[in-house]
Amino acid sequence: MPAVIDQELCISCGKCDKSCPLDVIHFNLETEITEVIYPEECWHCGSCRQVCPEKAISIRFPLRILVCAGTSPY
Amino acid sequence: MIDQKIRTDVLIIGGGVCGLNAAITAREAGQSVTIMEKAVVERSGHIAGGVDHFLAYLNTDKAWDTREAYLQFTATSAKGATNLKVVENVYCDELEAAIQRFEDIKCTLKQPDGTYFRTQSYGQPGPWWINFNGKKMKPLLGKYARKSGCNILDRVVVGDLLVNDGQVCGAAGFNIRTGEFYVVQAKAVVVSTGGTNRLYQNPSGLSFSCWMCPANTGDGEAMALRAGAELANVEYLRMTVVPRAFSAAGLNALVGMGAKLVNGKGEEFMERYDTMGMNGPRYKLVEGVLGELKAHRGPVYMDCRHLEPKALKHLVTTLAYDKDTLPDYFEQKGLDLSRDLMEISTSEGMQGGPNEVCGSGVKIDHNCATNVRGLFAGGNSADQCRSLHMAVTSGLHAGRCASEYSKHFNGSSPSPSEKQIKSVKQRLFAPMNESRDLDWREFEDVLQKVLTEGMGPVRSKWSMEKAWQNLDLLDQWKNKVKAKNFHDLCRTQEVYNMMTVARCMITAAGYRKESRFGLCHNRLDYPEPDDANWLGQIAVRDEGDRIVPVFVPLNY
Ligand SMILES: Cc1cc2nc3c(=O)[nH]c(=O)nc-3n(C[C@H](O)[C@H](O)[C@H](O)COP(=O)(O)OP(=O)(O)OC[C@H]3O[C@@H](n4cnc5c(N)ncnc54)[C@H](O)[C@@H]3O)c2cc1C
Ligand code: SF4
Ligand code: SF4
Repeated sequence: MPAVIDQELCISCGKCDKSCPLDVIHFNLETEITEVIYPEECWHCGSCRQVCPEKAISIRFPLRILVCAGTSPY
Repeated sequence: MIDQKIRTDVLIIGGGVCGLNAAITAREAGQSVTIMEKAVVERSGHIAGGVDHFLAYLNTDKAWDTREAYLQFTATSAKGATNLKVVENVYCDELEAAIQRFEDIKCTLKQPDGTYFRTQSYGQPGPWWINFNGKKMKPLLGKYARKSGCNILDRVVVGDLLVNDGQVCGAAGFNIRTGEFYVVQAKAVVVSTGGTNRLYQNPSGLSFSCWMCPANTGDGEAMALRAGAELANVEYLRMTVVPRAFSAAGLNALVGMGAKLVNGKGEEFMERYDTMGMNGPRYKLVEGVLGELKAHRGPVYMDCRHLEPKALKHLVTTLAYDKDTLPDYFEQKGLDLSRDLMEISTSEGMQGGPNEVCGSGVKIDHNCATNVRGLFAGGNSADQCRSLHMAVTSGLHAGRCASEYSKHFNGSSPSPSEKQIKSVKQRLFAPMNESRDLDWREFEDVLQKVLTEGMGPVRSKWSMEKAWQNLDLLDQWKNKVKAKNFHDLCRTQEVYNMMTVARCMITAAGYRKESRFGLCHNRLDYPEPDDANWLGQIAVRDEGDRIVPVFVPLNY
């Protein structure tokens, strides 16, 4: 999970939904919950986190990025 | 659902850095302006999360700080790809206005004490890079464009240009959430969709974790090509040096502040690859890293430990302007640049121009105009433009020239044909058909593997022929790619456009029988540069059943 929303802190303002260049986060109109619905399309740009007024978003790097063995081109 | 029909003087496709600057300039010229943008303009494209360097000469008394020095550097470092007449008009003539634009939107290039902080890298003759806090540049630009009265269609992805009798007269697209279909009629159109990324396999295995913005997938190039426009410089491969498996921007800051590359044995090795060492061009740094890895002297590291505390502090701050999440990466890896070596590697490949001052994409002239009437281009989707400095200046210039063109109509202008609108709509929505069953991710994955294998830093006639055959095979699956919703429909169009750019890339690279710009176009079967025969661009155009390359000589 790249961008992670802490639902305890989130006030469902929808700002992060409008700030994602990749359409990864959606504010669900029916449930009124803001969710990271396409985590594998996250660019780790941090734009959503910058706009969140409640500091409810954190960036958690996938293991494949943090432990990067086995990715050498040679 | 009723189709939305809109009329405007100037239409901007892609509300990124170039597009928004073009839009603001066209408003200032008294034109009505509509922007169609895949995301939401305040936070879309490359610099959604921030940016930190702007390249400029400032006409001080230093010899390197002049227009002549810039043109001289561009002529030598991008020889055979850059067109100096275009650069003069699109960059040099607009630079002053571009710096003023930063002040207008309230995103100053200056430090709090009113001075410029400038650094040097990539073989440039002086410290041309102004370091600045561009964290809020995109929201400020977006807000300014809205205030200036542009009609902004957020979340509307453009699928195709509309053409009437050889004149571009608008574009059509759909909303990526609601599926609403939009037809915009315009007198002049600017393509500013920001280049082609996501075309090569990512070392982390995560396609969207790429260096440049993954929302920019060659849509503008592909639609311009279909409308009859030429593309140029598309044969070149672009890579960079990144924290291993995290394709983050930031190399410029690291090199500019004096960081050094070392191999597993602790040796500084760049002198072996370039006489300028760490100050050489980006593609030489890539060559050095790959060379060390190939010789099994890896892992390769970036060493910042020798930097003065003040310099290190500036570096870490500016890195976070450029890539907002780099500090998180350091923290989650337990990495402290003052204490630890940072393991690095090369990024995924991408289709792009040879260096920071020359781009690839839709071929433009000195007015940002293409060979198709009414169609203009700028930013990373234009063949002469690259980096922030040219995205801003080409935006200003394209906005100016598109406005001039729009004004010459005096009232009536050609309108799109219902027949074309209908066929574009059918093509765009076809992947929603129930009978389709292939996931776009699988299609993209295979496309990336084909290019990574055949079109990488070492290419040859036979590797490229194989890649072409693989694309033929992949083509047979194209009409099976399915979209479950409008978000996926957007992704489906993206992979189709990437496929089109891939074809153009192979066509141009196969035609250029020489090597140029190190690993950018490195042919095993023609290993040497050959200025006698190949000093110029390869332009490609779509002739219905095939993509045709033409050689366009350049003089220096
Ligand atoms: C993290 C990062 C840091 C960088 N830092 C620097 C730096 O410090 N200095 C520097 O010189 N350069 C830097 N660059 C490069 C620089 O940002 C780009 O060259 C520049 O932003 C290009 O501007 P553009 O307008 O062409 O593209 P963008 O600003 O990306 O705009 C393209 C826009 O088109 C939209 N779009 C794409 N396809 C469609 C479609 N089909 N329909 C509608 N809209 C569409 C996209 O959503 C996007 O908003 C950086 C790049 C990145 C990724
Ligand atoms: S980090 Fe960027 S790409 Fe990822 S969810 Fe946030 S805004 Fe979207
Ligand atoms: S910006 Fe923050 S508070 Fe608002 S919806 Fe997103 S996560 Fe919730």
